[in-house]
Amino acid sequence: MSDVTTFAAEESHAVVDSPLARSRRTTELTLVFMAALITGAAYTITALGTNAEIPPGIVVFVAILLGLLLCAHVMVRLVARGADGTLLPLAALLHGVGFVMITRLDDELAGLQATWSLVAIGAFVLTLLVVQRATDLARYSWLFFFGGAFLLLLPLAPGLGVNINGARIWVSVGPINFQPGEFAKIALAIFFASYLADRRELIAASTWRVGPFHLPEPRYIAPIVMAWGFAVVVMVFQRDLGSSLLFFALFVVMMWVATERISYLLIGTVLFGAAAYFSWTQFGHVQTRVDVWLDPWQDPLDRGYQIIQALYGLADGGLTGTGLGRGNPGQVPEAQNDFIFAAIGEEWGLIGASAVLMAFILLVGAGLRTALRTDRTFEKLLAVGLTTIVGIQGFIIIAGVIKVVPLTGITLPFVSYGGSSLVANYVLLALLIRLSDSSARRLGELPDEPTPTERWKAWRLSRHIRRADRHGSSVEGST
Amino acid sequence: MNRQIRQLAVGLMACYVVLFVALNYWQVGRKQELDARFDNTRQVLREFNKPRGPIITADGQVAAVSFPTAPGEPYNFRREYPTGDLLADITGYYTFAFGSTQVERLYGDVLTGSTTEQQVRGLGDLLGGDVGTTGTVELAVRKDAQEVAKFLLGGRTGSITVIEPSTGAIRAMYSNPTFDPNTFVNADFEIAQQAITDLQNADGNPLLAQAYQERYMPGSTFKVITTGIALESGILSLDNTFPNEREWVPPQTNDPIQNYNGSLCGGDLATVFARSCNIPFAQLATLLGPEAMVDGTAAWGIGEELPIDLPRPAASTFGNTTNLAQELPLLAIRGFGQSEVQMVPLHMAMVAGTVANGGQMMKPYAVQATYDQAGRVLDRTEPEVWKTPLSPANAGIMTQLMIGVAERGTASCCIALEGGIPVAAKTGTAQLGDPNNPDLSHAWIIAFAPADNPQYAVSVVLTDVQSTPDVAVTGGRLAGPLAKGMLDYLLTGAGSQPIAPQPQPPTPPAGSTIPGSTVAGDGT
Repeated sequence: MSDVTTFAAEESHAVVDSPLARSRRTTELTLVFMAALITGAAYTITALGTNAEIPPGIVVFVAILLGLLLCAHVMVRLVARGADGTLLPLAALLHGVGFVMITRLDDELAGLQATWSLVAIGAFVLTLLVVQRATDLARYSWLFFFGGAFLLLLPLAPGLGVNINGARIWVSVGPINFQPGEFAKIALAIFFASYLADRRELIAASTWRVGPFHLPEPRYIAPIVMAWGFAVVVMVFQRDLGSSLLFFALFVVMMWVATERISYLLIGTVLFGAAAYFSWTQFGHVQTRVDVWLDPWQDPLDRGYQIIQALYGLADGGLTGTGLGRGNPGQVPEAQNDFIFAAIGEEWGLIGASAVLMAFILLVGAGLRTALRTDRTFEKLLAVGLTTIVGIQGFIIIAGVIKVVPLTGITLPFVSYGGSSLVANYVLLALLIRLSDSSARRLGELPDEPTPTERWKAWRLSRHIRRADRHGSSVEGST
Repeated sequence: MNRQIRQLAVGLMACYVVLFVALNYWQVGRKQELDARFDNTRQVLREFNKPRGPIITADGQVAAVSFPTAPGEPYNFRREYPTGDLLADITGYYTFAFGSTQVERLYGDVLTGSTTEQQVRGLGDLLGGDVGTTGTVELAVRKDAQEVAKFLLGGRTGSITVIEPSTGAIRAMYSNPTFDPNTFVNADFEIAQQAITDLQNADGNPLLAQAYQERYMPGSTFKVITTGIALESGILSLDNTFPNEREWVPPQTNDPIQNYNGSLCGGDLATVFARSCNIPFAQLATLLGPEAMVDGTAAWGIGEELPIDLPRPAASTFGNTTNLAQELPLLAIRGFGQSEVQMVPLHMAMVAGTVANGGQMMKPYAVQATYDQAGRVLDRTEPEVWKTPLSPANAGIMTQLMIGVAERGTASCCIALEGGIPVAAKTGTAQLGDPNNPDLSHAWIIAFAPADNPQYAVSVVLTDVQSTPDVAVTGGRLAGPLAKGMLDYLLTGAGSQPIAPQPQPPTPPAGSTIPGSTVAGDGT
């Protein structure tokens, strides 16, 4: 009995020092400062470029910016100090660049986005606090499945769903509009990681064959077929091509990584291709998107206007950009939203836009490095899934804006205006940081300390034991 | 699984490399082609959203100025013209969708500070804390003179132009009909489009600065040029006399040329010039012959666009000259400013100025200086001689002839200046012979004063007057008071009091001021 007490007492002691974790946090703090510096400077220069005066609220702006980022950083330091040091600064940089651009485009939206930034950092902190062990998530996988499905289908509910710009992906409750799909993709990624981690051997083992394809037991692939169904529902009923493509890419990539069989990638691509072709033949809005992609100049004042203006903006920006605040990105409809990358390309030039691309590549790299480092299948798959969401979503919208693929309305993670998107992406970031921290602890880079909940449980247990000792009754009896 | 994750990393990296390549393709590879596309308004818009300096008049009044707009407006600045339509012919307008004209167009780079010199100076000033490089354009035109001109015209169609003979500085240049740029420069696209279309379709083309962008038949004012050519060629002197005749048949025809109203007219050069007989000048033109007349008019700048510092100036014309040797009657008629001869009103002011300036015709200019954002001079217009059609001696003779017109000739009714300041003038009445409107005439006068020390040369044309046999109009009686009002104001400050538009005098006989003649021939 006294052994247990000693152990608990030791554990409640100060945090054990770890050079690796410390250096990562120092890196993170330095990079966060640099992200804040870049954001603050860009904010000032943009205001100078727009109306030749230093913004009056610059000190307050930088103070709030630093306050928020430091808040996030301190939380990482407290509860995930072994995590990769680049994830948070990269997100902060993208978020900052996006915010400066939104401020430049629309003051009113900037105010809203500032509020959403507050909420997003709050969600980030909350996620880190609630999800103390990545493996905890696997326990609720079916909850995430149904929750994700519910969120995904919510906009189709009469009275709740709202059609905006032709896509039914919004839910309106009272004064609040949000896009539940942004959260659904995280929930479904968690479900898939858990499901595939449990059954990957079963799915990989093909027990029957159709033509040249070896297929697993139907019951094992049923949820995956359902997921494909979700993607089709999103495409057909919500008319949201981008999200549909994103969901599908997410499922297919996770299947492929989990089963280590390239055939899933191929089958998935063929299935999506078939669905896409079908919708192209059946739906006018899909045909419009494809026509505009092939030749926006056939209808330059209406359907092709947005993409043409985006390309003119990019061309006007050229290599070095028109200068912050010196371009006319407002010419592009929805520049603060789907087309924010075009606005950045116009004012920050090829150099600035490439920096944004680099930030995404680095973010993806950090996410996949986490997936490589961890030894648990669930965490590996979850890291892959979350990283794929950010990487593919960024690619889909940027490629749409610069006419590489047909345009599909979807937000640019961390950069675009939009509360749901920002909050969801910060939750995603928190999960990646949690995964990164878990893997670092398991690799022994820092001691695997108990989480606050575990400490609390241990403390409670020790209290019971002490009481039991004092009262002479058994431990079991008092719990 | 790690192999797949690495492959995924490579795949996603490849996706972003594709994006990078595409970005290069649009931002560098096809930049020039996209920038040059006709529907690409980026460059225009950027130009439009630059701060723009003011245009001020020679007497320090603001003619055009920009104000920043409230946030959220489509453009960063509003362009306003505090003088309304008063200086629209000079400043022009500056719009996003419909381009810009006049000074706004020609001096756009100075106003926005885009000239190399302003950029370099702005760079230096940045260290001192000054931001912005916008320039200021100072007109040679005086707002007060412009107001008097507008007042004198009193809504009648026509123009008044005042230049400084020794420099070519345009001190006033106002024409009716005109327009107020404020009505459309800051308006929404559709409203602005409607306003501009209406102005384009309106009678008399208000958007045009008629004083320098339009030309009119000059009538007898052209006799200044014919006389000048004859004097320069040596075939004419003050001693020449012309027979007193009613009509004269030029070569190659049987149709006689008549004086105004078929009157009897003749005498020495001073008399026929003052009375504005037609036949002597028809004879002079015929005597000089086609070649000398064409060369002579070219020496006065006829056939060339006026060298003014404003866009799209008109060129005066002596008409089609290819076959003139076989059309001597036409040459004879053109000798007194009829037929195909057409003169720009500003050019006629310059003709008066040439006589006043000892025979040198100065280049006219509407902008006298430009300044950078700190008020330092960027450029000051240096007076330049354009043509020298008269020797100083002949300019002296011409001055005497024109003083005669003012003192005892066709302008004596109406041009005598306040305080007895000597003035020189020449009138003109051009009958257009328009079959649809047979009585339509232009009433002209050109003048300069003081005749012994010329400071201002003026041309006045009223383009929309009706001359019937009952109520004949003449340049002297209709346009004369306007020239007098202009010169009085400029020389003595008088004349700023209202002058009622001249009603048609109840009865001619025009030219009755000349004793011994029934009618002063004034134009055909």
